[in-house]
Amino acid sequence: MEEPLATKLEEMTRKNKKLFSFLCLGLFAFALIAYGEEKKADLYAPVYTKPLTAQPLKGFFSRAIELPFKLAKWPMDQGIIYTENHRLDKKTIWLYEQTLKQGVKPLFGFTDLSVYPYFGAELNLLALARQKEKYPDFFATTTLLYCPTVFFAVDSEIGAQRIGGTGFHSKGIVNYDLEQKEPFYGIGPNTSRGDGTSYRIETTQVGARAGYEFSPTIDLEAGFDYKKVNILNRAHDGKGDIRTIFAGQNIPGLGGDDLLDYSLTLGRDTRDSKDDATKGSYQKFLFQFTDGVNGSSARYLKYQIDMAKYFRLASPRRVLVTRLFAEHNQEIDHGDIPFYNLSKMGGAGANTRDSETARAFVYNRFYGESVLLLNLEYRYTVMEYKKFKLKTAFFNDLGEVFGKIHEFRLKDLRESYGIGFYLSYTRNTLLNFSVAHGNEGTRFYVKNKLAF
Amino acid sequence: MSIQLKKTKQARQALALAILGIGVLGLAGTVAAGETVKFKESESSFYSDLFDQNIYNEGVNQLDLGRWGRKLSRKPLPSKNVNIFDEVPDSGFFTNRQGRERLSPEALEKGYQETSGPDLSKPLQVTAGEQRGIYPRFWVKDARGDEYLLEFDPQGNMELVTGSEIIASRLYYALGYTVPQFTILRIKPEQFQVAPGATTWEETGFKKALSQKRFEEYLMVLPQNAEGLYRASACKIMKGNYRGIFSFESRRKDDPADLVNHRDRREIRTLGIFASWLNHYDLRESDTLDISVEENGQTVLKHYLADFNGALGSTQEGPKEPMLGYEYIIDYGETSKSILALGLREKPWQKKWRLAGEKIQGSPAVGYFTNELFDPARYKTQFPYESFRLVTHADGLWAAKLLMSFSDEDIRAMVKAGQYSDAKNADTIAKTLIERRDLISRYWLSRANPLDGFSFSGWKLLFKDLAVENGFASQEGTVYLAQVMREGKKEKIAQTETKEPSVNIQPEWIPENGEAKILLRVRRASDKKTSPAVTVLLNAKGIQGIRHED
Repeated sequence: MEEPLATKLEEMTRKNKKLFSFLCLGLFAFALIAYGEEKKADLYAPVYTKPLTAQPLKGFFSRAIELPFKLAKWPMDQGIIYTENHRLDKKTIWLYEQTLKQGVKPLFGFTDLSVYPYFGAELNLLALARQKEKYPDFFATTTLLYCPTVFFAVDSEIGAQRIGGTGFHSKGIVNYDLEQKEPFYGIGPNTSRGDGTSYRIETTQVGARAGYEFSPTIDLEAGFDYKKVNILNRAHDGKGDIRTIFAGQNIPGLGGDDLLDYSLTLGRDTRDSKDDATKGSYQKFLFQFTDGVNGSSARYLKYQIDMAKYFRLASPRRVLVTRLFAEHNQEIDHGDIPFYNLSKMGGAGANTRDSETARAFVYNRFYGESVLLLNLEYRYTVMEYKKFKLKTAFFNDLGEVFGKIHEFRLKDLRESYGIGFYLSYTRNTLLNFSVAHGNEGTRFYVKNKLAF
Repeated sequence: MSIQLKKTKQARQALALAILGIGVLGLAGTVAAGETVKFKESESSFYSDLFDQNIYNEGVNQLDLGRWGRKLSRKPLPSKNVNIFDEVPDSGFFTNRQGRERLSPEALEKGYQETSGPDLSKPLQVTAGEQRGIYPRFWVKDARGDEYLLEFDPQGNMELVTGSEIIASRLYYALGYTVPQFTILRIKPEQFQVAPGATTWEETGFKKALSQKRFEEYLMVLPQNAEGLYRASACKIMKGNYRGIFSFESRRKDDPADLVNHRDRREIRTLGIFASWLNHYDLRESDTLDISVEENGQTVLKHYLADFNGALGSTQEGPKEPMLGYEYIIDYGETSKSILALGLREKPWQKKWRLAGEKIQGSPAVGYFTNELFDPARYKTQFPYESFRLVTHADGLWAAKLLMSFSDEDIRAMVKAGQYSDAKNADTIAKTLIERRDLISRYWLSRANPLDGFSFSGWKLLFKDLAVENGFASQEGTVYLAQVMREGKKEKIAQTETKEPSVNIQPEWIPENGEAKILLRVRRASDKKTSPAVTVLLNAKGIQGIRHED
């Protein structure tokens, strides 16, 4: 019963020892953890080999070189930020869409003849009169285009598509076109560029078209037009008037003409996009009879073939485009072919008037009764970002104007070769920058259309 | 004598008072200065970013003589905000979280949270809206008075944008970056109420009053789940004063705490690496936020990454387009190569897209997010930030270390935050992130010196070979080369080789009142090259400094 005091004490001591040991162990463990924590925390302490000091990003000379650019950058940045903060980009798009909705399509582009762009609008008269929904198959449009010092044009057409639910279509046209400086270097393949001048041509045209659309890709159209053409004097850039420069040469049409055109056009188009085709082809065959009236001696036939094929080279990113353009004008009954209606060649082929694509040569560089032209272009995509695409193109244009068919000479072929960069958004060309070289030098183009 | 003593005493008292006065004035000045720090608002926008980075800087950087000097001499520019242990101390830009201590799966899934999300006890008051493309986003105020920005998924891609945004916010936060609170919100149409005076930026670019009818029109284009709920990512509008954005290049001169150019901040440079992990192609300055807040009586700036809907397989409009992450918006290098290759070069993203059959194979909720043909060295955000290009081996190692600190389970925990209705989608994303983490880490660990986790004990310098530990290299055939240098001198005093991740330190190598500099390199049987060096400064007390070679 009476437990010895010594045993009690011994047990207490043992318990205390245990407690003490546990305490020590706990303290040791705590110290270890704390030490570990401290060590770990130390790894991220803001203790540096050298005190942190503010330093410029670039050296003194680099900053000095950059300074003028920096000065220009600031206002640009502010402008950009203002644009985005005030959604000016969106407002611009909205404005464009609203004008389209109202029936006004703004137009903008570049000609070969001026550094100034042309601008204008296509007015959808039915939409403007709020009648488009009521008459979906009818159309009535007027297009106004103006390029300072180069041209002014008003083209109007009124007609109907899918008449009676069939493929028939019909329209009437009224056009007025004043070209201020159409270049002219003489007729034939061997004219001199130094002999060039330009002329003013005013054309008033009234006509009618009727046709049938066999399928969404095939269309046949017949046309009848009356044209009144005035050739106006122009002496510019120190050069003489066309009548002075080409005095003594028989250039039909210099006095202007009243013409009646009868035409038949068969077209087929299977391209996947008109502006940025990567497959398909188009073919256009035109036959036209032109008869001069009111004293005009014009009387000729025009035959024209325009065809292009877009070959995908194992990928839509690589496209080889081949294009053939051939035209022959054949006078009949001792009639004439007015010089302004001859086949023309030269320029980027993205103009408002037709001068076929020969990019190393100036617009309208060659006039002739006939033209044969082969365009070969390899286009490949080099950059894609969302809906933006940049393509590079290597091209070769080989063509010749000549008189009668038998006058075609291989030695008279004119060659252009060059490179182009085409930037597009949702397959609409925004920018076409091209450079071409040929035996008359190098030419640069900035356009917002492709040649074909 | 006593007069003299008295005078001395008075002089001492005067001096003490003066010192005290100066001290009080200084203190008051400091406090006042702290209160009056005013941060300017630095503005940026997508277009200005595009102009600055893709056009201006790409050109002007060619005029930087120092840059050319570094290129020609192949001398990298070291990060300047690393401490003596080659780590990034905490700052307004970065807080060591997972790197310091592994976060629990719960903490990883939760991310940064001040609240559990918008309080739906009362209808959310829609205070503003914005239409971007066809889809809207809304600013709302909840019952607690907290404001949130709600972004939604596009039609046909339910969970894509919202899931990506939430997951990316969790990953950036765990890495250490400052992010706002993001939560998933599921909400019925009737839980919205247009607040009086609410306005909206229409897609037309005009700001208009937001009517209930217009709001309902906005809702009509948004996808709803089977229960009729809209799903949104709710970004809490942070309290504080908005001070614009922060640059990835230069420091803010109006911030006394911001001493290092951001280009030279390791955590900013490696954002490019983390963006590649998260497929965050639109990481950009104009998506950052600087907010000034009061902390301990001081006004300080917090630097936020704020917009993540372009992460993983998503973009704001829908699934990622195939070129994103592979090219800058204007990529001079890639474009030049393609021009010269005459169209015969198939870019990696084109090949990947072709192999995928030119369509997204996975779930609409995942978008376009795979690791096929993923190259950690070639990932590109949409703008070419110079800071991302300046990443050195040491920076890359630091990033890889951080990435490897996330276990597979950690990643799954963060992906769980995306709350995908189909577990397969979460699994696909987690798997892709795990694989990508390994690809990036393997890349950097094979280029940098992979030795880390140094400790000094029993005259042994112990370390970890991260490449071996993570299974990217074999211990067999690995040799660690150590060179001992006298402090401050180029004189080599000893050299040793070991196959174990430790080096025996001889006491005589360590000077009495100085440090020994030990350079460690790794040589592997599989690799002809020896790794860059890591320098360890050692004295009798232990490790005094670590620096991986850039």
